[in-house]
Amino acid sequence: MRIVIAEDLVLLRDGLVSILTGTGHEVVAAVDTADALLEAVAEHQPDLSIVDVRLPPSYRDEGIRAALRLRPAPVLILSQYVERTYAAELLADGKGAVGYLLKDRVTALDDFLDAVERVAAGGTAMDPEVVRQLFARNAQNQGVTALTPREREVLDLVAQGMSNSAICAALVLAPVSVEKHIGNIFAKLGLPPSDDSHRRVLAVLAYLNA
Amino acid sequence: MRTARSFAYLVTSLVAGPAGFVWTLATTLLMAVGAVTALGAPVFLAVTWLDRHLADLERRRAAWVLGAPITPPYLPVTATGRARVRQVAAQPATWRDMVWFAVLLPVGLTLGIIAVVTTVVTAAAVIAPAWAWSVPERRAHPLIQQAMGTHSGRLLISAVGIALIPIAMWLVRQLASAQARVAVALLAPGEHGRLVRRAQELAASRARVVDAQAAELRRIERDLHDGAQARIVAAGMTLALAERRARTLPAAPAPDGAGVLDGIATARRQLDEALAELRRLVRGIHPPILTDRGLAAAVSALAGDCPIPVAVTIETPERLSPAVESAAYFVVAEGLANAVKHAAATSCSVLARHVAASGREHLTVEVADDGTGGAEPAGSGLDGLRRRIEALDGTFIVTSPPGGPTRLRAEIPCAS
Repeated sequence: MRIVIAEDLVLLRDGLVSILTGTGHEVVAAVDTADALLEAVAEHQPDLSIVDVRLPPSYRDEGIRAALRLRPAPVLILSQYVERTYAAELLADGKGAVGYLLKDRVTALDDFLDAVERVAAGGTAMDPEVVRQLFARNAQNQGVTALTPREREVLDLVAQGMSNSAICAALVLAPVSVEKHIGNIFAKLGLPPSDDSHRRVLAVLAYLNA
Repeated sequence: MRTARSFAYLVTSLVAGPAGFVWTLATTLLMAVGAVTALGAPVFLAVTWLDRHLADLERRRAAWVLGAPITPPYLPVTATGRARVRQVAAQPATWRDMVWFAVLLPVGLTLGIIAVVTTVVTAAAVIAPAWAWSVPERRAHPLIQQAMGTHSGRLLISAVGIALIPIAMWLVRQLASAQARVAVALLAPGEHGRLVRRAQELAASRARVVDAQAAELRRIERDLHDGAQARIVAAGMTLALAERRARTLPAAPAPDGAGVLDGIATARRQLDEALAELRRLVRGIHPPILTDRGLAAAVSALAGDCPIPVAVTIETPERLSPAVESAAYFVVAEGLANAVKHAAATSCSVLARHVAASGREHLTVEVADDGTGGAEPAGSGLDGLRRRIEALDGTFIVTSPPGGPTRLRAEIPCAS
């Protein structure tokens, strides 16, 4: 997979490059500013951009703003902190191919590489921290309180962006029961059944905007 | 030299005294007439403007004798129109200038005449014998003729004259410095001016301290973010790669290879915990979203993360000064946290409004809940907030009767 990285801290940029190249990916450009990121993406048309939220010169949310300009190209935000607001902005177009992870998730290499591939393939990867914020916020929300503990666990993983098979593996469940749980969740959240492949994204989005 | 300056000061006062008196009389009349017409304000402002320049001259004259400059007592006048008149009239210095010009007449005349007479008498005594010799005066008083007629008499008068010189010089200097001291008493900054000036200096230095502190907090946050956090993440990445390599080695390196892997996994988990802790710390120092997006976004995020419904009304400019933003943010954070943790509230409202009235801008932040109340304003959280807001010259009011509801209200001035 061809990847562009935008990260201003040399230590982390080098770390990411060696992890990605060490696992069979190709880093076509590693830049340190938002402008350079936009240029590199225009030039290389990568399969995925990995972007830090804070970039020079003002060290604010340049990374998020640049990512929004890159949409609908696949973007994975890696940040030192997660902010639900940013997750909502990234998901807002409902098109998927978005990820927002804490930088420390990189150290769980297999999960990280899984997220990289998922986002490049058009899926989502939300940090458990974002999901935790969602659940904290919706703790007294009617929809969530109606869920059984097992359904909550499943929703947690769906919100992170996991596929049904990944959820089966994580919770040691049969594929059929996972599908059943997800159907129940969508029903309880009032999401009508449809063939739209982004319904899972919309489920998360419905939560973010609730 | 000092005597000459003192003498010059006293002699010029002979002119300045009557001139000042006439000026005061004329301008007072002019202002009295102006006060009953529409021209009152411009006349007053013109007169006081000239008064200030004349008083400056007087200050310079007095400083010449004292050998040290006299600080002008005037406070900056910022307003225009009617408000300007009020500002100028409210300054004691304006009226003290006028009093000085009135006082200059009697003081200047009296001291000036004494100085001139003393000098003339002394000089006359010294040069009298020479004078009598060169311009004989037959009709002079017999007593003087007798004194002038003898060598010893002439010598005595000259001796008395010479002996008088230092006394006369001393007297002139004393008179001049007495007058200069009166000038200082009236023309130098009084207690009012001194206090106002001091208050301004203190406000300015406090503003600098507050700004420096806000900048310092942001610097610490940045340092943690780019330094400690980044290093821990990098260490985690290195460990992760090492773990992967260890796992994919062709043969298990040793019987306890699994133990090594466990060790690496533990180290990684510890790093994760350290990072989570750091993140919590950074958020407490200065939340990143506040730096990124400003108060409105940060408060919305806080409200969004709050488990109870929060009605948010924010009417503020996009960005305020960092110290103000951060104080307001922590008022909201503390208010919401208390509502959830202690007050058992079921809903909350947050209001942040930027108000600009009569040239003064301030930010009002209000957090109200429908909980059980009884919040302790002296508690460490609320007391810390109060001190933080008072450092910005703001006010912080907590009303939380037992049984509720609780309301936190902060008013923070914003530098325009």
